[in-house]
Amino acid sequence: MADLGKLYKDHTAVLKHREWRGFKDTMYDYYRWLITWKDMIKMVLKAPISTLKGLWKYRWMASYLSAPSFVDRHVAGLRGPQLRMAHLHYNMIVKHCTDLINISFVADEKINPNNKISKKIVLTDEIIPNEVFQGFPNLKVVPLQTIPIFLSSMVDQQITPPYLEVTESFGVPADVCPLPSAEAGVAIEDDYPKMGCCMIATNMPCDGSVMNSTFLDRRLQLPVHCFNVPLRYNGEDVQEYAVDEIKSLIAFIEEQTGEKFDWDAFFAAMKNFNQQTEYELQKWDVNKTPYPQMTGAAFWLYRIYYFNLSGGVDKRFLKVDKKVNKIMMKAYEKKTPVSKEMRHRTIVWSCPANYYTSFANWLENCWGMNVVMDMETMISYQKFNTEDKEEALKDLAKTYQRSIMRKHTKGGYRNVVDELWRIVEEYNADTVIMYDQISCKGMDGLTGIFDDQARERNINFIWVKQDLMDPRTISRRDMREQVNKYMQTVLQEEPLDASLVDFEDDMAW
Amino acid sequence: MKDLKHLYEFENLLQEANNELVKKAKDEGGIALGYTCYHIPEVLLNCGNCFSVRLRAPRTGSMDIATYYMSNFLCGYSKAILERAIEGGYNFLNAVLASETCSEMNRALEHFELLDLVPNDKFFVTFLDAPFKIEEHTVKHYVNQTRLKILDMMRDVYGVDTSDEALLKAVEEHNEVCRLMTEIGNYRKEDNPRITGYEYHILNLVTYCCPKSLILPKLRETAEELKTREPDAKKNYRAKIVVVGSEMDDPDFTALIEDSGALVVADRYCFGSMPGREEIIINDGEDVLTQICRHYLKTSQCPRFMSHRKVQERRDYIQNLVKEYNADGVMYEQIKFCEYWGYERALASYVMTNDYGIPTAAVDRQYTASASGQLRTRVQAFVESLEIKKIAKEREAKKNG
Repeated sequence: MADLGKLYKDHTAVLKHREWRGFKDTMYDYYRWLITWKDMIKMVLKAPISTLKGLWKYRWMASYLSAPSFVDRHVAGLRGPQLRMAHLHYNMIVKHCTDLINISFVADEKINPNNKISKKIVLTDEIIPNEVFQGFPNLKVVPLQTIPIFLSSMVDQQITPPYLEVTESFGVPADVCPLPSAEAGVAIEDDYPKMGCCMIATNMPCDGSVMNSTFLDRRLQLPVHCFNVPLRYNGEDVQEYAVDEIKSLIAFIEEQTGEKFDWDAFFAAMKNFNQQTEYELQKWDVNKTPYPQMTGAAFWLYRIYYFNLSGGVDKRFLKVDKKVNKIMMKAYEKKTPVSKEMRHRTIVWSCPANYYTSFANWLENCWGMNVVMDMETMISYQKFNTEDKEEALKDLAKTYQRSIMRKHTKGGYRNVVDELWRIVEEYNADTVIMYDQISCKGMDGLTGIFDDQARERNINFIWVKQDLMDPRTISRRDMREQVNKYMQTVLQEEPLDASLVDFEDDMAW
Repeated sequence: MKDLKHLYEFENLLQEANNELVKKAKDEGGIALGYTCYHIPEVLLNCGNCFSVRLRAPRTGSMDIATYYMSNFLCGYSKAILERAIEGGYNFLNAVLASETCSEMNRALEHFELLDLVPNDKFFVTFLDAPFKIEEHTVKHYVNQTRLKILDMMRDVYGVDTSDEALLKAVEEHNEVCRLMTEIGNYRKEDNPRITGYEYHILNLVTYCCPKSLILPKLRETAEELKTREPDAKKNYRAKIVVVGSEMDDPDFTALIEDSGALVVADRYCFGSMPGREEIIINDGEDVLTQICRHYLKTSQCPRFMSHRKVQERRDYIQNLVKEYNADGVMYEQIKFCEYWGYERALASYVMTNDYGIPTAAVDRQYTASASGQLRTRVQAFVESLEIKKIAKEREAKKNG
C-alpha cells in the first residue's frame, strides 16, 4: 500500500498508472473500472443527441466525464472485501446517476422543446429525501440541483467556483454557505435543465437553502410548494404539524399533476426501504466491534445517496445491499482487518467537504485513521409502518426531520454536541475529525463548546477547516495539512504512507 | 428643530439593557423576559406582571470570548448578545424566550443554558418552532408552540396569569404604544418632517427595551409635544430613504445615515417599527391567542418566510412604503454574516431596481456603528445618485413641458 502518493502526477493528481493491489484485486478493480465506463457509454447511447447537446450546453456536464477518476480516488488503498464492497456501492451510484442525467437531458425543454416527459416531472429541492414521492409511481421526480451542482461538485472540485463567482457578482456575500450559493449561481446562469410541471422547495437543511429558493423560484417560473419540516424536532409537540406538512405536499402534487397518491406503491417501496435500513444498521453494528468492515468514504456516500435518491423504490440498491452484506459478514466472521493498519478509530463530525469526499480514504491510507462513523451516515434510521397510513406518515415525518445535513445541525445543541459524545462512546473511538465548515452558521456557533467538552474528555479532537464547495478558500492540501500537523506535533506519530503526507492536487478534478 | 423633551433621557435608557426603567419594574416585582426576534410575539411577554425586553448589547466593545465560542463567522449581534451575557449584563432576566428562526441567534441563546449564564434557579430559555409560511395548519402549529413554549412556561415557572383577560389587557397596552408610535411615525410622511429618523429610532427602541407601562407616560407626552413641533424652515436632508434589512438596534447608524444627507423616513428592519408597531385587532370570532399569533405571522416581513406569496408581499410592502413616505430610494442593509439578509438584500435590491424602478443601495455593516467610514461613503454616494436622478427627472419634466 505504501507510496500511493507516488502514483499521482503533480498538481493534477492524475494516476501515472493504476494501483497494483496484487493480481486478483488489481484485476477486480480494473474490471469495475470498465463497468463504470460501460455504464457511462450506455447512458450516452440511450439518448446520444440529447446527451451531446447537454454536454455542449451545460458547464457541469463535462465534470461527469471524470467519474472513473472519482471512483479511483475513493477506492485507493483498498483490498479484498473492502475493495469489493466499495466498488459495488460506487457502481450503483454511477448507474443511478446516469439515469438521472439521462432523464435531465431527455426532458429538458431547452434541448428537446415540447417533449411530453417534462410535464410528467415534479422537480424537488435536492435535499428532500425521495420516500414520499414513491406514492406517485407514474410521475418522474427529479431533484433539481443534484446533477447540475451537488454531485458534480463531488466528482470535480473545479466546477463550483464559477457558479459561486456568479452569485457573489450578483451581490450575495461570499461568507454564506457555498452550497446554496452555488445552487443560486446555477439559477442565475440559467444552467438548470428546463423541465417539470411544478417544484417542491423546502426549508431543509439550513437558512441558506431557505433563501436560495427565492433565486430558484425566480428562474423556474413554476408553481412552487414550500415543504417545511419542523426544526425543534425532538418533541412530540411538532409531530402533528410535520404530518400536516406532508399531507399538504401530497395534496399539492395531486392538484398539480392530477395523480392520486398510491398507498400500495408507497408501502411496497417502504418495505424495501426498511430492508435497506436493516442492512445499514448491520454495517453500523459491525463497525462498533473491534473488527469494523466498512470505513472510508463509501460508507457515507452510499448512505446519503440511497437515502435521498432511491427512497426505497429502486430495487437495484437493495440487491447491492444484499451482496455487500454477505461480503461484510463473511469478512467480519473471519476478523478480516479493514485496512493494513487501524491506529485510530475515528468519528467524522459536521458536514463533509463536497470537493474532498475521499478525505476519509486519505485519513486511512496516510495515518491509519479509520472512520467508523460520521455525521452524514448517522441520519434517520426510522423504520416505516407499512400497513397503517397514519402511522406511516408519522414515520415519514420523523425520517424527514432527521435527514442529511439537518438531523444534527437543527433542533438544539444536544442533537450535535451530546450526540457526538454518545457516538464516540458507542463506537469506542479515540479520535474525532471535526470539520470546521467555515460558512456553516449552525456549526460555527458551537465551536467553543466542542473545544471545551473535547478537552474534558481527553480525546484527539482535530479541527479541519474547509469550505464545503469552495476549494479556493481552503484547498484539499490545506485540509490534509491540518491533520498532518496534529499527527506530527501533538501525537508525534509517523505516517503509514509518507508519500501521502504532502502532495499537490489543486488542479485535480 | 427644538429638542424633544425626553430625548436625552431616552438616549440614556438605551445605554444599558438593564436600564433605570427595567430596574424599577424589577423592584416592583416585575418579571423580565428577554427576546430577540419578531417571531416571539412581544405582547405575550407583557402578560400579568411580566415585561418584555428586546435584547440589545449597547456599547459593545471586544467580543473575544463570544468569538471563542461562536467563531469569527457569525453575525455581530448574536456574538454581542453572548458576550454581554457572559459579562453578566443580562443577569436581571428571568427568562429568555427564543425561537430557532436563525441559526446564529439560536446558537447564541443556547449558550445561556450551556454556560449557565444567569444566576437564577428559576431562569429558563425556551425555543419555539416557527413556521416558514402561513397556512391554517401552520398557524395552528405556531399557536401551539407559543402556548407551550411561552405562556405555559411563564405560568408554570413564575405563576403568571396567562388567561384571555390577561392577554387582552396586554394587547390593550401594546396597542396604545402602537397608536402613539404610528401617530409619531406618520409625521415622517410630511414634506418637511417634524421628526428625524434618528429621533424616531430612539423612541422606537425604548418601546422595545423598556417596560411598556413605565415608558407610556413619556411617550404620550412626546406625542403631544410633536403635535406643535415646528420643523426647521430649511430642509435638513437631500434625499428621503427607506431603510430595509436585518437587525439594527444602534441608533447611531440612523444618525450616520442622516449625517450623510439622507433622511430615514421608514424603518423596515428587525427592531424597526415596520412591522412591530401595528395595532393588534382582536374580535370575538376566534380565540385571543390565535388572533395574536395570526397578527404576528401576517405582519412579519422576515425573509425567512419562503412562500412565493410572502416573497412578493415583501417587495410590494417596500414599494408601498416608498410611495406612502415619499421616499427617493431604498437602502438594503445587512448585518455581516446574516445568511437570510445576505440573500434577501442581493435579490430584493436587484428586483426593486429593475422590476419596480426604485433606486436602491445594498450595504453590509457591523453590529455597532463605530468604524463605519465605509458605510458613510456608501450612503453619501447613494444620496448623490438620488439627487442626480431627481435633477434628471426635473429636467425631463421641464423638457416635456
